[in-house]
Amino acid sequence: MDVFGSFTLLLAFVCAVYALVGGIAAIITRHPLLVKSTRQAGMATCVLIFIATFSLEYLLFTDNFSQAYVVSHSNRDLSTFYKVASLWSGQEGSLLFWSFLLSIYVLSVLIAYRNKNGELMPYVGVVLAGVQTFFLILNNFVESPFKTLATVNASGVLEPFTRLDGNGLNPLLQYPEMVIHPPNLYSGYTGFTIPFAFALAALLARYPGEKWIHLTRKWTMIAWCFQSVGILLGAHWAYAVLGWGGYWGWDPVENASLLPWLTGTAFLHSVMMQEKRGMMKVWNVWLVFCTFMLCILGTFLTRSGIVSSVHAFANSHIGPWFVGFLGLTFVVCFVAYVKNRDYLKSENQLDSMISRESSFLFNNLLFLVACIAVLSGTLFPVFSEWFTSNRISVGAPFFNKIMIPVGLAILFLTGVGPLLAWRKTSGDSLKRNFGWPLIVGLLFGVAAYFLGYRDVFSIICLVLCGFVFWTIVMEFYRGARVISARTGMNMMVSAHELAMRNTRRYGGYVVHFGMVLIFIGLAGSAFNSDVQRPMNLGESMKLGPYTLVLQSTDTKAEKNYTAQRMIVEVLKDNKQLMMLYPEKRQFQGTEQASGTMVSIYSTLREDVYVVFAGMDPDTNLPVIHAFLNPLVKWIWLGGVWVVMGTLLALMPNRRAALAVAAVPQTVASPIAQALNPSVTLREGHD
Amino acid sequence: MTNRSRIIVPLLLIAAFAVLPLFAQQEADRVKQIGGKFQCMCGCGQVLTQCNHVGCTMSASMLKELGGMVKRGDSEDKITQTFVQEFGTTVYAEPPKSGFSLVAWLMPAFYFLVGAAIVVFFIKKWRKQAPAPAAVAPAGVHISAEAYERARSQADRDTED
Repeated sequence: MDVFGSFTLLLAFVCAVYALVGGIAAIITRHPLLVKSTRQAGMATCVLIFIATFSLEYLLFTDNFSQAYVVSHSNRDLSTFYKVASLWSGQEGSLLFWSFLLSIYVLSVLIAYRNKNGELMPYVGVVLAGVQTFFLILNNFVESPFKTLATVNASGVLEPFTRLDGNGLNPLLQYPEMVIHPPNLYSGYTGFTIPFAFALAALLARYPGEKWIHLTRKWTMIAWCFQSVGILLGAHWAYAVLGWGGYWGWDPVENASLLPWLTGTAFLHSVMMQEKRGMMKVWNVWLVFCTFMLCILGTFLTRSGIVSSVHAFANSHIGPWFVGFLGLTFVVCFVAYVKNRDYLKSENQLDSMISRESSFLFNNLLFLVACIAVLSGTLFPVFSEWFTSNRISVGAPFFNKIMIPVGLAILFLTGVGPLLAWRKTSGDSLKRNFGWPLIVGLLFGVAAYFLGYRDVFSIICLVLCGFVFWTIVMEFYRGARVISARTGMNMMVSAHELAMRNTRRYGGYVVHFGMVLIFIGLAGSAFNSDVQRPMNLGESMKLGPYTLVLQSTDTKAEKNYTAQRMIVEVLKDNKQLMMLYPEKRQFQGTEQASGTMVSIYSTLREDVYVVFAGMDPDTNLPVIHAFLNPLVKWIWLGGVWVVMGTLLALMPNRRAALAVAAVPQTVASPIAQALNPSVTLREGHD
Repeated sequence: MTNRSRIIVPLLLIAAFAVLPLFAQQEADRVKQIGGKFQCMCGCGQVLTQCNHVGCTMSASMLKELGGMVKRGDSEDKITQTFVQEFGTTVYAEPPKSGFSLVAWLMPAFYFLVGAAIVVFFIKKWRKQAPAPAAVAPAGVHISAEAYERARSQADRDTED
C-alpha cells in the first residue's frame, strides 16, 4: 500500500504539471480539446491525491510499522478515532492532508463550472494547478509521508525492517477537538485558494465586470467560516487541554491563523463596495492576493521553525520552499497587476464622508492595521535578532495592549456601519438611528459596573456590545415590521421571512451578533482569578464565591494511558454544585509522555476551571490549581452564532415576487370593466 | 519585666502576627505583578506567572527565584537585570520601551496613522471626483423605460445591504 500511495502521489504530480503547462498552452492556443484535457487532468490530480491520502490512512489503521510516518505518529493502542487524526499530526501527513483538502475545493470548482465561464475557467485551472503542483512537489520530493524504515545489514546493504509498535500520537493531540480543529483550520487556509485563483484569473483574462466576485463570494464565505471555526476550536482546545486557564496566548502559530482571517474579513466587507459602487477594485484584488499569501506565510511560520512555538511542527528544511513559493506568488500577482491595472479602473466617487462607504474604508483600515501589527509583533523577535543580535520576545502583554483598542474600534464600526446609508447619511437619520443603540449600550455599561466589572476596557467593550446588539435588533425589527404590516404575519415569522429574503445581509447581522457574544466573553478575561496550593484529602480552598473540597483521588487505566484523577467537590453557599475530575494522564508508547485533562464547571456567568498540577515535591500532596474565569462560555456560544450566520448568508435568497392573478369582479363599474381582467398584487416566493 | 511591658510585648506580638499575612499577600501580589512581565523560558512562550503546563522544567524554579528576590526587597529594575543577565532578552514578555525595542511599540501607531492618512486622502479625492447632482427633471417630463430600469436596479443595489 505504501508503494501504491507513493505512486499515486507521483502520478498526481505529473497530472498537475500537465494541467499547469497544458493549461497555459490552452490559453495561448485556445484549442478546445486542450482546454478540456487540462481540465480533466486537474480533476485526475484531485482523485489521485484522494487515493494517496486514503492509502496513508490505511497504513495507519492497519498498524503498518514498516512505515516511518506510522511509527512516528501512531501505536497499536491508539483508538481508531485518533488514528484518523494521526494523518495531520506530523509534517509529512499534514502536508498531504493540505493537498487533500485543496483537492476537494479544486474538484468542486472544476465540476461546478465545467460548462460555465468558458473565458475565465482555463485561467482559474492554471492557477489552481500551479498551487497544487507546489504542494505535490513537497509531498513527493521534500516531505514524503511514504517512507519505509530501513537498516543497513551486515553486508552493508539497506534492507527494510518493521518495528513492533509505534511511538504513539502526541498526548496533547489526543483530545476530540484536535480531531476537528486542524481540518477546519486547514479548510480555511486552503479554501482561500479559490478566491485567489479567480481574482488572479480575472485579472489575467481581463474578465469583464464584477463577475469573479459574484462567483467567489460563497467560496470566500466558506473558507472564512472554516477559518473562524478552526480558530475558535483551537482556542477551546488550548483552554481545555493545556491547563493554563486561558484560550488565546498570542503564540506565533495562533497569530499565523489569525492573519488571513483578518484580511479575509476585511475582504468580505470591502467586496460590497465593488459590487454596489464599482469602487476599490484594486484594493479587493490585493486583499485576496494578500489573504492567500498570508495563508502560505502562516504555513511557513508553523513549519519552518523561524519562530518558536509549542504548536509548531518540528524544525525542517521546508522553509526555503515556502519562501520561494511566496516570492513567486508575489511576483506573478505584481506582474499581472502592473500589466492589467487599467482593467481595474474604479468608479471612484464618494458623495459624503458620513456614509456606508466611509465606514467600510475605516473598517478595512482597522483590519489591516490589526493584521500588520500582529504580523510585525510575531516577526519582531526575528528582526530584533537580525538588527541587534539579541532576540527580543514579544508575548501576550504586548499584543493585548495593541489589539484591545483596535478590537474595540472594529466593534464600534460593527455597530455604526449598518446605521449609515450608502452614499450619504443625513444628520436627522444619524440622530434617529444612534439614539436607542447608544442608550442600550450605556445601560450595558451601568449593569456591568454594578455587577462588579471595574476594568475600563471591559466596560467600554460591554457598552459597545450593547450598542451593536441593539443596532442588530433594530435592523431586524424595522424590516420585520414592514413585512408584518404587509402580510399580517407575526413579528417572529416576519423576522424569519426577512432573513430568508436577504440571507446575505441578515446572515451578516447574525455573524455580527456572534461577534458581540465573543467580545462579551473577551471582556470577562480582565477579571480572571486563580488560586493554587497542595491539598490534603478533605481539605478545602476558597475561589471567589465557591469552595473546592478535595474529596479523594483514584487511578484509572485506559487502553492507551493511565490517569491519576482528583475528585473535587464544588460548593457554593454550602450547597453542593457538582463534582469535578481533573486528571493527569501518563500515555503509553515508546516515548513516555504525560498530559493534563482539565475539569470545568461552566455557567454563563463564569467557569470554575480546575487543574491537577502534579504532586508537590516537598509535601508529596496533590497540587490543585483552580481558576475563576468570568464569561468564557459566551465566546463558544458566539462561535456557534458566527457559524449559523455564515450558513444563513450562504443560503439563496427567497424573493418576494409580484404575482399577477385574476380576481372575480364584484362591482360592475366602468373602471372595473376597463380593467378586465383586473390584476392584484400578491406576495409570493420564487 | 514591668507590668507595662507585660502588656505591650504580647500586644506587639499579636499585631505582628496580624500584619504578617498582609506582608505575605503583598509579596505574592508583587511576584504576580513582576512575574507578569517575564516569559517562562521553557519555550512555551507563556507569561511566567501563567505557565503551569505539565512537564514545564522552568517556571517553578524561576518563580522561586523571583519570590526570593521579592522577599529580599529587590527593586523591579534589579530583578529585571538579574533575569536578563541569566536568561537573555528573550525573558521579556513584552519588548522594553527603549532602544531598538521601541520600534515594536511605535510600529502599530505608525501603521494606523499612515493608513488613516491614506484613507482620508482617498476620501477627499473621491469626493472631488463626484459629479454634481443631476438637475431635477421638470414636471411632466417622462423618462425612458430603459433609464427607469437602470435607476431602479441601482436603487435595488443601494438598498440591498
